[in-house]
Amino acid sequence: MTQPLLEVKNISVEFKTRRGALKAVDDLSIDVQPGEILGLVGESGAGKSMMGAAILGLIDPPGRLSKGEIWFKGQRIDQNPETLRGCEISMIFQDPLVSLNPLKKIGDQLVETILRHKKMSRAQAIDRARKGLIEVGIDPERLNAYPHTFSGGMRQRVVIALALAPEPSLIIADEPTTALDVSVQAQILELLKKLCRGRGTSIILITHDMGVISETADRVGVLYAGRLAEIGSTNQVLRSSKHPYTQGLVASTPKIDTSSFGQSLYQIPGSMPKLDAIPTGCAFHPRCTQGTLKCSQERPPMMNNAAACWLLEETRQGI
Amino acid sequence: MSFITAKNLTRRYDLSDPWIVRQLTFRPKRFLTAVNDVSFSVEKGTTYALVGESGSGKSTIAKMAVGLLAPSAGTITLDNHNLNDRNLSPQSQQSMRRRIQMVFQSPYASLNPRWRVGDILAEPIQSFDLIQGAKNQAKRVDELLEQVGLSPSDAKKYPHEFSGGQRQRISIARALSSQPEVIICDEPTSALDVSVQAQVLNLLKSLQKEFSLTYLFITHDLAVVSSVANRIGVLNKGALVEEASPKELFTNPKQDYTRMLLNAAPKML
Repeated sequence: MTQPLLEVKNISVEFKTRRGALKAVDDLSIDVQPGEILGLVGESGAGKSMMGAAILGLIDPPGRLSKGEIWFKGQRIDQNPETLRGCEISMIFQDPLVSLNPLKKIGDQLVETILRHKKMSRAQAIDRARKGLIEVGIDPERLNAYPHTFSGGMRQRVVIALALAPEPSLIIADEPTTALDVSVQAQILELLKKLCRGRGTSIILITHDMGVISETADRVGVLYAGRLAEIGSTNQVLRSSKHPYTQGLVASTPKIDTSSFGQSLYQIPGSMPKLDAIPTGCAFHPRCTQGTLKCSQERPPMMNNAAACWLLEETRQGI
Repeated sequence: MSFITAKNLTRRYDLSDPWIVRQLTFRPKRFLTAVNDVSFSVEKGTTYALVGESGSGKSTIAKMAVGLLAPSAGTITLDNHNLNDRNLSPQSQQSMRRRIQMVFQSPYASLNPRWRVGDILAEPIQSFDLIQGAKNQAKRVDELLEQVGLSPSDAKKYPHEFSGGQRQRISIARALSSQPEVIICDEPTSALDVSVQAQVLNLLKSLQKEFSLTYLFITHDLAVVSSVANRIGVLNKGALVEEASPKELFTNPKQDYTRMLLNAAPKML
């Protein structure tokens, strides 16, 4: 195996409160290979966005990276992420309405980004910005337009052009299509995939939609209460999920499937625990239908079949 | 027997410049037809889903159905009463409004953050004068909270103390509090997580069975529709391009636009 582009080793993100430290991300490790699209799924509050913020060093106080190391291209970056932020690692945010400056023309925003990270003249940068817009399917004549004159899907295209402008090797896309329509979502995902495959850029795709993952990602990590529940190839995780939480998530996704009309969807009982009341042992055990006594006492480690669940150990011993 | 009937429903918005600007620039008036000649009917106790992209006129139809907007042409009637009829007496208008309620898209914006949940749920009861006496009202509020899967003690809390899914349950309880016959759901789950979405959709279905409610369900996600709708209408640029049962629509879509929507919906492996 080649050296991973990004290695996140056992990181924790803590928020100090009067009642003690709350762990938004708890002892989590992932790695991203060059050119790979890694999906991160989970419900609200699972720590998906915190993960992205941690890699970029964008955690606001009182939150802090309390433990662990982040390595990028063989270099440790959790001490000084500013050097790489926006340049080697860029970010696409959820809401294109908010992530563009409404007072600046999109051309100026693109040129500013390019000049900040690349050594070139202004004329060259403008030329680059035009090419960037053509790539994402926007008429380069609109360089002088303001963000409010674009529709939601077009704005997200501009944001993608902006993220690709400094030619990063990793893009963190935090729910890039949640604010968009289904048909526009399909276009944007296709575009993102095409551009990144063409350049060999890796993506960390953060979303709560299993459908988006199954269409886009190569590998997927499932997060629950700040911990990694399961990780593996998209095919394996979605088709033969091992962790009961993943199974529940897959089952509760509505499908266009002629056999299931009018039937109720599967629902996972209960809801995500609050950070100040994370259950002992496996964080999922109160909602798990197959939980045992051990689940409520000891936290399951990552089993070697890439899911953190005690049930898998027992079946293995049974064999 | 159809319960909600829309006949040749049309809504135009006037986008013209002010009069003086038109005089100076010699430009004519401009109109946008948001809903164009849409006709459909919904049977009592069933769910009719309107599907389309942003700007296809879904929400405009919803607003006309509850009487928040008047149609430019055509009618939408509920149980043969026209909500937008100017000749209707205020009393009968009020009694019509009781029978039709709405659940909005964002549970973060549709609940007053300064009101306790109990007050939010009691407001429709008081304004339609359904139950007299504070004690009886409070009892009804407790009952509503239990119906949507919350506990009576939640009546004392404020909306910010709840998660998105719980807030949408409060929205649903508020819609139920006037004992309506029709609930218009305008993208009720698009702000929610997948697992929470399943809970809310299942709740809506079980309430429909219990109170024989009629739903007009508005969404852009065909996958969501497949589990709740009895009939689906596909809207494109203000016009109803296709209408069918879910089975027909998914197995044999007749329009290119419907096919495009079906292809765009993310598929699970």
